[in-house]
Amino acid sequence: MSNAATFDTRTDTAIPVESPLAYSYRHSGAPRGSGYRLKLRERAMLGHLILRGGAIVLDEAVREVLGISLPGKPQALVHDASGERSIQWLSPDEWLVIVPGGEEFPLETKLREYLGDAHYAISDVSGGQTLLEVSGEAALELLMKTVIYDVHPSNFPVGKGVTTVFAKATTILRRPSEERWELVVRRSFADYCYRWLLDAGSEYGVNVEQ
Amino acid sequence: MSQSKQQVFRLATGGRIDRTRTLSFTFNGQPYQGHPGDTLASALLANGVDIVNRSFKYSRPRGIVAAGAEEPNAIVQLGSSEAAQVPNVRATQQALFNDLTARSTNGWPNVQRDLMGLVGKLGGQFMPPGFYYKTFMAPASMWLTYEKYIRKAAGLGRSPMEDDPDSYDHFNQHCDVLVVGAGAAGLSAALAAARSGARVMVADEQEEMGGSLLESRETLNGKPADQWAAQVLEELAGCENVSLLPRTTVNGYHDHNFVTLHERRTEHLGETAPVVNGHRPVRSRMHRVRVGQVILATGAHERPLVYAGNDVPGNLLAGAVSTYIRRYGVVPGRQLVLSTSNDYGYRAALDWKEAGCEVVAIVDAREAPKGDWIDAARAQGIKIITGSAVIEAKGSNRVTGARVAKIDIDAFKVSGPVQELACDTIASSGGYSPVIHLASHTGARPTWRDDIIGFVPGLVKGVQACGGVNGTYALGDVIAEGVEAGIKAVATMGYTAQTVNIPSAERLQQGPAVALFQVPHEKPTLRGPKQFVDLQNDVTAAGIELATREGFESIEHIKRYTAMGFGTDQGKLGNINGMAIAARCLNRSIPEVGTTVFRPNYTPVTFGAIVGRHCRDLFDPERYTALHQWHVERGAEFEDVGQWKRPWYYPQKMSGKTETMHEAVARECLAVREKVGILDASTLGKIDIQGPDAREFLARIYTNKWEKLAVGKCRYGLMCKDDGMVTDDGVTSCLAENHFLMTTTTGGAAAILEWLELWHQTEWPELDVYFSSVTDHWATMTITGPEARKLLAEISDIDLDRDSFKFMDWRSGKVAGVPARVFRISFTGELTFEINVQANYAMHVWQTLFKHGEKYGLTPYGTETMHVLRAEKGFIIVGQETDGSVTPEDLGMQWCVGYDKPFSWIGKRALTRSDTKRENRKQLVGLRPKDPKVILEEGAQIVLDPKHAIPMPMVGHVTSSYYSPILDAGFALAVVKGGHQKLGETVYLPMADGQTHEAEIVSTVFYDPKGERQHV
Repeated sequence: MSNAATFDTRTDTAIPVESPLAYSYRHSGAPRGSGYRLKLRERAMLGHLILRGGAIVLDEAVREVLGISLPGKPQALVHDASGERSIQWLSPDEWLVIVPGGEEFPLETKLREYLGDAHYAISDVSGGQTLLEVSGEAALELLMKTVIYDVHPSNFPVGKGVTTVFAKATTILRRPSEERWELVVRRSFADYCYRWLLDAGSEYGVNVEQ
Repeated sequence: MSQSKQQVFRLATGGRIDRTRTLSFTFNGQPYQGHPGDTLASALLANGVDIVNRSFKYSRPRGIVAAGAEEPNAIVQLGSSEAAQVPNVRATQQALFNDLTARSTNGWPNVQRDLMGLVGKLGGQFMPPGFYYKTFMAPASMWLTYEKYIRKAAGLGRSPMEDDPDSYDHFNQHCDVLVVGAGAAGLSAALAAARSGARVMVADEQEEMGGSLLESRETLNGKPADQWAAQVLEELAGCENVSLLPRTTVNGYHDHNFVTLHERRTEHLGETAPVVNGHRPVRSRMHRVRVGQVILATGAHERPLVYAGNDVPGNLLAGAVSTYIRRYGVVPGRQLVLSTSNDYGYRAALDWKEAGCEVVAIVDAREAPKGDWIDAARAQGIKIITGSAVIEAKGSNRVTGARVAKIDIDAFKVSGPVQELACDTIASSGGYSPVIHLASHTGARPTWRDDIIGFVPGLVKGVQACGGVNGTYALGDVIAEGVEAGIKAVATMGYTAQTVNIPSAERLQQGPAVALFQVPHEKPTLRGPKQFVDLQNDVTAAGIELATREGFESIEHIKRYTAMGFGTDQGKLGNINGMAIAARCLNRSIPEVGTTVFRPNYTPVTFGAIVGRHCRDLFDPERYTALHQWHVERGAEFEDVGQWKRPWYYPQKMSGKTETMHEAVARECLAVREKVGILDASTLGKIDIQGPDAREFLARIYTNKWEKLAVGKCRYGLMCKDDGMVTDDGVTSCLAENHFLMTTTTGGAAAILEWLELWHQTEWPELDVYFSSVTDHWATMTITGPEARKLLAEISDIDLDRDSFKFMDWRSGKVAGVPARVFRISFTGELTFEINVQANYAMHVWQTLFKHGEKYGLTPYGTETMHVLRAEKGFIIVGQETDGSVTPEDLGMQWCVGYDKPFSWIGKRALTRSDTKRENRKQLVGLRPKDPKVILEEGAQIVLDPKHAIPMPMVGHVTSSYYSPILDAGFALAVVKGGHQKLGETVYLPMADGQTHEAEIVSTVFYDPKGERQHV
């Protein structure tokens, strides 16, 4: 073990939780209806871990424990067969792992067991960010209004993910499939991002699925 | 010429307007009619409106001169309602729509009967160049008085006083090739680029793409040139890889091929965007484009000749005359005299004649012009006067005649008798000036070419220039150059070009142009009638000559002295003429004089498009904690801390009255000191630090020691920049031997994480340590006060015994059923527990605390109370007690400096400098006002002798000052020179209102000096 403190921040009991967008739904609403060209859906309460370390060391561990390889290529995003678990390259020694909520602590524990005395870090950030799915025929236009990164299919194929500028904040932008984009936004910026997306999307019609 | 409500200058046929539909509009309150396809300018000309404005300085009547972006006079104010006001619109670029309402921006009370005219004519005598500098700048105190008068007299439009009903946005674009301009060159380049499959954007500022092809008298493949344009546009529109942006001006060319475009999406439809399907589309959009290769196909602006009276309405550019006839079906007069230095000008006379109007004469500055167009003019029976020029236009509200004479260009004199020709219109052409503005934005200096008598763009990386902007004007050559530029651009971007068949153009015989700018007059420039160079700013040839005589030799100085090129048109028409005149006066060549620098934007841009959606609620991100909802519902007032919204205080309503801030803060402070308060401290930066060298890293980044901090313990840390000045502070806890949790100031969180990464990556990569931000992951709730333990004990399984869970310890366990880390640290001096839970659970834990806290008097408090309480204890706030020039020693925090740490730490060396060691540095002290009712002003200057003559030596200033409810007295923290040696001394604070406060220098700790309360 790497002599770090692990801490399961979740509890099994029926304690109410609030996603980073709870405030926004109350204040800005969640438009529904037909005739929309954009769909937003929050995937709340997922498990988010930041992995830091050397790629070779970590790759072996995540393949063993999670069954998927660590994306070695910059800006790459990989999923397991179910599509529910993903690892994304963030920087040369940094990856974002997203798993179904509640899996993050057992995963961290197993990774730490596997990695032993190697030098690495795992930080649980599940409470600090949330995942927003964007889909619909106007998704590209919405993104062009929002992020400075080039989202043209020739530059942003499926399986890519980047950290970029979101209006006056930042976001992680990823493309898990042809028709679906994902934004990982920081909890404290989530309301700003949500209001920005509703505003930018209003000319296309937005449907928010909760 | 009288104003008519019929379109008497409209031709029965021809042009690209739709005569089957009529549009109504008003100009200066008069109703007029035009057609779809008109610009406001063409419609005004069709209606015979001669005067569109009064000039800036002399208040002379001015008419439409040009047909595009270069128009200096027809600058109008649009809008029928206050909210819809738009200033600074060029009538030549404003499409006509039904019910358009426009006014002149200049001319008071109106352009026809101008009161200012008289003043202007008088004033003009007294307003030579440099007048503002010479007259209005001294005495400086009078400028505000002058300015009001000048602004009223000048006036270049006004902004609306009501909210704009429209919205604007930004689009981030990326492309391989951006083609600027969709004329012959641009369309050819776009076609070549598009066929390679590259991502191509084509932007053109006009209503319709095609540029001069839309009004050309030439043919391509034997058909009218506009048909070829239509064919190319059709192909481009069908390409998925091409985006066509009409009504889009490329306004700024920035570093690294970052280009800003402004697309006017609804400005041709109405003064506000018409609602479609219940939604109001954006009125204009800024495209922020990152481009691989920029193809400049911006063409050229025709240069007018500078002759006396050249500003009287009825003086137009030759090319503009052609445009109005061929594109809009408007002949802007009846009898034309054309004054030209080149073959191209002849087209205006040919078009005029073909429209059935009289060409009085073509006056050509060349002795023996030869070429196809000259032959065509002769064949039409048009009189051509050679070796001559129009030296003066006659008329005041409209041209009534042209004075024509032989001229000697080299000797700059009139060399023959003057004849006066009756006419109502004078068209002039002095050749072309390539539109080099965008290339100039990059800083590239343009190059003068004698053969084309103009500047071409300097070399810019990633740019291909083609066509007119390159000084290539023959249609066939323009197209060939465009295709070549397109091919080169895509090849550079790694695409393979496909073939493009170049359409066959007529090969016209053309003769060389002559370099003529200012036309000589019988009288010397300084004494003759005014010859205008810059129409918008009323700069004359005499003004430039005077400037050179007064010793201004640099063109940049001449520009500023005369205001040439300072208008909203940036001198598009006049600058080259002005440089040529300066060159003549200074006896230099034009390239020796050089050009001024063009800067973004190419044309004025509406603020809405610059702002985009970054306004009102979306102006800046607002960061919220997980408990924000609760604070809002509780009626908190918020304070901006960086981008965070933090509760500032929670005013209570009592018997219908809302507490003042002072009352609320006093109540909150006493609640903490006497019972228990709660603070949302979630905004503190939190950095998760892991690795075997984490402890060593902390020792190097902080000033104090970390080697002995045991697992389960917390320690306050102080951070310096390498200059030895305090930059951040906070508590760091040892979670495990190789695992620490650092907290930073709220505002410093992101910068400190970068600071850690910087030092790790560049200086100490050998240390095995990683950092990750966990700021948003944890919500932090601080309960503090004598009752804090009792409250927490009710809902936590953690052993809170004072001997097993000591001050500066942390423990984990459950709070309200939620896994939590609890830190026993204190920023108030009271018994404190900082409860950290995963943020998604925060609201539940917070509410549970309140469910149990009522009986203990649990009181939420905000940042203001936090500030008072910490100041009573002498705890600093980085950024309040410090300002980047304060060392740990200045703060009296030597206890927090590990001078003997084995490895050096950031700031150590700087703290041994003589300056950081000197004794009279400003040092942190407490101030106790002699009158306890006084609350000193933060920022107030401190002096030792209030009777000292002004200027008094100032020895320091107040950094924090509050009323202390527990002490019932004002108190302050301050920095005072040598303050640590001055305890007990009296200092004085002279205030702006004449009062002088007296205060005693005391310890920074005002309450519980032994620090017993936090240990209970």
